[in-house]
Amino acid sequence: MAQNVNPRLESSSSDSPKRSKDMNDRIESNKVIQRLQKELMSLMMSCDESVSAFPEGDNLFKWVATIIGPSDTVYENLKYKLSMEFPRGYPYKPPTVIFITPCFHPNVDFESGSICLDILKEKWSAMYDVKAILISLQSLLGEPNNESPLNVKAAQMWPRQEEFKATLLSTYKDSESN
Amino acid sequence: MATTSSESDSSRKNTDNKENESKDEQNNMFECNICLDNAKDAVVSVCGHLFCWPCLHQWLETRSSRQVCPVCKAVISKDKVIPIYGRGNTKQEDPRNKVPPRPAGQRTEPDANTGFPGFNFGDGGFHLSFGIGAFPFGFLTSFNFSDRPHGVPVGGQLQQDDHYLSKLFLWIAVIFIVWLLLA
Repeated sequence: MAQNVNPRLESSSSDSPKRSKDMNDRIESNKVIQRLQKELMSLMMSCDESVSAFPEGDNLFKWVATIIGPSDTVYENLKYKLSMEFPRGYPYKPPTVIFITPCFHPNVDFESGSICLDILKEKWSAMYDVKAILISLQSLLGEPNNESPLNVKAAQMWPRQEEFKATLLSTYKDSESN
Repeated sequence: MATTSSESDSSRKNTDNKENESKDEQNNMFECNICLDNAKDAVVSVCGHLFCWPCLHQWLETRSSRQVCPVCKAVISKDKVIPIYGRGNTKQEDPRNKVPPRPAGQRTEPDANTGFPGFNFGDGGFHLSFGIGAFPFGFLTSFNFSDRPHGVPVGGQLQQDDHYLSKLFLWIAVIFIVWLLLA
């Protein structure tokens, strides 16, 4: 069979690995874009007003999200902005999520806004989407994991809810009022 | 009259809506849990969750140390997914994908009733060892282990082990016979 291969064809196929790699990369990033578009659509269709997210500018890989603190918690009615950055390997790899609005919380670093949440790290699953992340973060506000705190002061203060709320409100700055 | 007609209109609208909803649900039912699109080259995990094979393969690749179902976190592996063959998608469409073809369906032929009834333990490779253990020429009669109809080749670890074992036993038997003849 090999003898019958047209040499011209063969020479043209020799540079195809490089091209097919580029093509694969493009297909991969197209897949990521497609999935993000689907997520955006379903977020816009859903009527849940306590969580929202939208791409920042034209870049579909960077979103700005908003969550509102769950009722019956110290975070009730407080509005938090977050940034979400999606890697090229999304959804096989989790997005990087950080608080833009400073957040006084046992599992959030107050300065950098980085979050300690298992599903954004080792327990990430490809089926989690933006909405699932935001709802998890929302419930994390009301139910912190005080076993592994990023903000030790907040974790120690958590049992004393009134003091916690006072500190929380004194440190809270609505990003829109600035 | 007008009221009745409007009522029938609204009821028709309702049924339309319901139909649409059920259609949406039906469409959603076959979405891959990873790309959220309709599953292509569909496979289902043993825990019952649907994926495109390329999507699931990539997920398993990125988590090669801890392979779990993205939906329910049950332990899964390449051998533990079942391909779904619908009517009319027999063609592999995109050969550019470097993804290995999805695993073949595992089907076992019903056992043809051959060999010793006494040695037939229903477990292909196993009864051979009894044959040899009991009397050396037993294996000649129950020598059907390797041409047991396999149907579709199965890539499972078990099958490989089986194959290895049967080869091993064959060699032991051959050496034994040679020894008998020489002695």
